Amino acid sequence: MDRNRLLMLGGAIAAAIVVVVVLVAFIGGGGGSKSPTTATATNASGGGTEATDAFAGTPQSGDTLGKASAPLALYVFEDPQCPYCRQWNIDTLPTVVQNYVRGGRVKLVYRGIPIISQNSIAGIRAVYAAGMQDKLWQMAEALYERQGEERSGWITIDVIKEAAREVGANPEKLLTDADSDTVTAKLKEAEQLANQYGINSTPSFGYQKQLGTLQPLQISGLEPADFTPGLDAALR
Amino acid sequence: MRLRAAAAAACLVGAGIAAYLTYVHYAGIAPVCTTGGCEKVQTSKYAELAGVPVALLGLVTYAVLFVLALVRGVQAATLGVFVAVVGVAFSGYLLWAQLGPIDAICQWCLGNDLTITVVAALYVVRMLTESPTQKRRPG
Repeated sequence: MDRNRLLMLGGAIAAAIVVVVVLVAFIGGGGGSKSPTTATATNASGGGTEATDAFAGTPQSGDTLGKASAPLALYVFEDPQCPYCRQWNIDTLPTVVQNYVRGGRVKLVYRGIPIISQNSIAGIRAVYAAGMQDKLWQMAEALYERQGEERSGWITIDVIKEAAREVGANPEKLLTDADSDTVTAKLKEAEQLANQYGINSTPSFGYQKQLGTLQPLQISGLEPADFTPGLDAALR
Repeated sequence: MRLRAAAAAACLVGAGIAAYLTYVHYAGIAPVCTTGGCEKVQTSKYAELAGVPVALLGLVTYAVLFVLALVRGVQAATLGVFVAVVGVAFSGYLLWAQLGPIDAICQWCLGNDLTITVVAALYVVRMLTESPTQKRRPG
């Protein structure tokens, strides 16, 4: 066999491998990321105000919104593709936050369950990952603002990144965290809880008093006023 | 000639897969999937490189390899080996990402992995066997 030809072959393969190693190092090092500055700029310019106003001044940690010491935890089971979840989030959640959460009486706990399709999992993972930057509730709302037709696959990487930037989260970190074992464990936990309490539709609501078990919240609709009797009764 | 034709045909298969995934990416729709993990893979951070969908990069790669398959000569074959091995190595990295961090398998990616490996093998054989010069016999 032609020795020169073999040397050329070896050179071409070696060069190709060097190119890929550089590419992978570039990806791993976040070389292509413009997220931190973009996120800051977007937020500073007011791009994220719509999705964050409802939560301004309310403590938030992981998947919980409100004071940790609140006597009542309201568990919300959601699917980002679900239109009624959107209605709850956009129209009603701000009032519930204002009336119950800000005063420290109730804390909200997010539980994402994929009811509609596999695409919901991508959204739920992104929401939980935002929780690792204490932006879970803003992220959930930002995704609802972008909600498309059910099962249309609208939860894409671009939608997630755009929503993350809007709420002031680091999109690259969020996408990395979305694939983490921590987020996988959150999904499993939510699924187990939903199975345990027979929850198979969204949005579903349950409340838990300190040291108590989860109880279904009785509501007559998704308007803000529909939550008042159930929450007031649970707080008594 | 047979090797170049086979490489060109394999490139068309790979381009078809890459074109479909590129379309799915920009259309924002869910890919047809029997492995259950395509959407997770597609929405992971590994689906883009510096903001460009890897499916689009794959489409460009197959287009280049297709054109090189139409060109005679050792230089075209050598360039083809280089491009195809870049494709194989990067596909290997994405396969690692599917099995590891993403924890989901996309059937389209596996189809691409197989196709780019076949293309690379054809280019290697072509490079080692192609005649160095194509001299015409006088009439």
